[in-house]
Amino acid sequence: MRIVLPAISFIIVIIISMNSCRQPDDWNDTSSNDEWYSGGQQTVFISGAGAYSSAFPVMSPRNEFVHEVGDIAFEQTFVSGGLHNPGLGPVYNSVSCTSCHIADGRGTPVGPGTNIVSLLIRLSIDGQDPHGGPLGIPGFGGQLQQNSIFGTEAEADLSITYSFQQGQYPDGAEYELRIPNYIISNAYTSLPGSYLYSPRIAPPVFGLGLLEAVSETTILEYEDEFDSDGNGISGRPNYTWDIEKEQMVIGRFGWKAAAPSVLQQSAGAYNEDMGITSFLFPYESTFNTPLNFDSQPEPEISDSLLHAVAHYVRTLAVPARRDVNDPIVQAGKKLFFEIGCESCHRSEMRTAVNVAFPELSNQRIFPYSDMLIHDMGEGLADHRPDYSASGFEWRTPPLWGIGLTEVVNGHQNFLHDGRARSFEEAILWHGGEAESSTNRFKNLSATEREAIIRFLESL
Amino acid sequence: MIRSTIITLSIFAILFSSCKKDPETIEEVVSSDLHREILEEFTTNVAVDIYTELASHTVSLDENISLLVSETSETNLNNCRQNWKDARLAWERSEAFLFGPVATENIDPRIDTWPVNFQDLEGELASSNAFTPEYIDGLQDALKGFHPIEYLLFGQDGNKTADEFTVRELEYLAALSANLKELTSQLSLGWTSGGTNYSASFAQAGNGSGVYTTKLSAYEEMVNAMIGICDEVANGKIGEPYLLQDPTLEESPFSSNSITDFTNNIKGVGTVYLGKYNADGYGIEDFVREHNLSLDAQIKQELAQCEAALNNITMPFGEAITSQQVQVQAAIDAINQLASTLQTDLLPLVQLHID
Repeated sequence: MRIVLPAISFIIVIIISMNSCRQPDDWNDTSSNDEWYSGGQQTVFISGAGAYSSAFPVMSPRNEFVHEVGDIAFEQTFVSGGLHNPGLGPVYNSVSCTSCHIADGRGTPVGPGTNIVSLLIRLSIDGQDPHGGPLGIPGFGGQLQQNSIFGTEAEADLSITYSFQQGQYPDGAEYELRIPNYIISNAYTSLPGSYLYSPRIAPPVFGLGLLEAVSETTILEYEDEFDSDGNGISGRPNYTWDIEKEQMVIGRFGWKAAAPSVLQQSAGAYNEDMGITSFLFPYESTFNTPLNFDSQPEPEISDSLLHAVAHYVRTLAVPARRDVNDPIVQAGKKLFFEIGCESCHRSEMRTAVNVAFPELSNQRIFPYSDMLIHDMGEGLADHRPDYSASGFEWRTPPLWGIGLTEVVNGHQNFLHDGRARSFEEAILWHGGEAESSTNRFKNLSATEREAIIRFLESL
Repeated sequence: MIRSTIITLSIFAILFSSCKKDPETIEEVVSSDLHREILEEFTTNVAVDIYTELASHTVSLDENISLLVSETSETNLNNCRQNWKDARLAWERSEAFLFGPVATENIDPRIDTWPVNFQDLEGELASSNAFTPEYIDGLQDALKGFHPIEYLLFGQDGNKTADEFTVRELEYLAALSANLKELTSQLSLGWTSGGTNYSASFAQAGNGSGVYTTKLSAYEEMVNAMIGICDEVANGKIGEPYLLQDPTLEESPFSSNSITDFTNNIKGVGTVYLGKYNADGYGIEDFVREHNLSLDAQIKQELAQCEAALNNITMPFGEAITSQQVQVQAAIDAINQLASTLQTDLLPLVQLHID
């Protein structure tokens, strides 16, 4: 007994003391705990300026090394000639990956009189190329390059003006939407009388490896082309040409899901945005135009460096959510589901098993995108088809990490051309298949609308 | 029995003290004030002070370049070179906190891109293009900012004389310095006034700030920025030219200012840590000293070791990468060690105690 007594008191003391240490937050509904980890194991708990720029926290040393190599290349400034990073142009939109994808984040449109850097204009005429893609304008190709290296003409000048439209919620609160207008002038040679154009802002580039790792089967789970469930939403995949595989595949990236892979998206950006050729795009974008002066199909960026850049982008981690347990955020999330936003901004999916790339394998992720294209109505339409996507269809962009746009990029300009100046404006622009959700949003109380925005800020 | 009771009591004491997370206690209230003051004094004593100095040096540079244009003398040239170095000091210190307007307004690449694009620069000089502010603003990053100005002021080998300047070089120089003045002024104003007033956003973290929803997020921003510049200096600025054995990748080759640049980057880390540039106020140091005196001593010692290691490189950096490899590697190692301490000791400490 003499020994037992202190032992019991010892145990009791521990139990009592442990209880008094228990933080109520630690014992919340565990079902939501995974949701902090937007990118599964590849989630980083950084909520500052570097939130989009972190490598996967779980990665083999070799993959980490290649990530570093790609990181350096992503930041390289290209120049026209000389020893370092030659090959820029002859015409281009920008001089480095990072000058549009600032801090691996989102570009912003700029007002009149300032050089437009992180927004570009896709061009085409009626018709399709042999693979069903858009047909470039003779002399200009598929994209407008408004900058040129010394001694060469740029394709044209580009400027943006805005007009404004006032609106009112049923409860009387007012809002204002901003409508962009693009002016293409001083073209180096005449543009056709009618042509199609589509403005695109540089999107954030983190988490793309995880999205690439989602299987086609998983993406097709949400496909409902003929709206058989009658909810007014009919998502479908875009099918696009994969240069490497030489076949049509599901498109995953870009504002219209016209890019099949991170590699092709990166190589395309090098080629069109910077004038840098590679094994996937061996000819300058000016090939077969009067601006061309380099007809040799030779890569200006090595295969290994292009692969390293694609690897860098693939292995950028997703920032963790914040304030998941905040009651307002939780109420906002509930409303987000209830009014139908989640029907396209699919909250959750799982990446495919991939033994060759375990860092990406079998991860439960929360991208808030179905990776499908949807008719978004006349207000957002660019009237320019891109593979199977019509002039009204856009891909559901992932919303993960979007709440950190302000701290990383210093603005809240959203949508494909950055026209929305806040989450609220971005929601209000949703038309077409999303129109009924937008109407339900408008009919919510001011407090409820604010809760949805708080939820978006927590992503 | 007595011994057991003592053990039991001491366990009580230990467990209870580990529970001390009650915000009502006086100590926590005092800490909370301190945590706020550290943020406030970072904005006033560090960010605003350094950016104001940077802007004022680029004003002087622009004025002296105007004098150089009207009278291209050695005296005027030397004044410009000194202004350039003064501005560099402030800028390199500020690279220890590359967040806020410098990042969101994309100012960094527009004023500090290297290497210089010599091919196009020569083309610009040979052309008859009018160097208007709009024209300069639209130029590629590798044709404007600190380094093209450095190249024109110091010459390829750093020994340019006043009589070597051409009219076009002077015109270009004047346009570039006006552009640099404009952008650094915009940067300084971004922290003090105008639409953004980043100081308010930062100092009011977790207290209504639209950018930083918690105090912790502002602290993490500072610490991650310190880690970021250490990584950039060790593995980018020093590491890349060293690894590739390529002196043309050097940051400030024409003025032989690279080691000074690197040293000011590290001093910048110390500036953020101590909260001290000109005035000495509260800094992260004061928070660390509340919780872990030995970590405070370690960080200060490692900062000093970084500076000493850089100081041991006695030749211009472009030569040192081939001729003083031991010293260059030692500097890389010292800076990586500091980064590691900030990452594995300082960051968790901040995350444990700041809310």
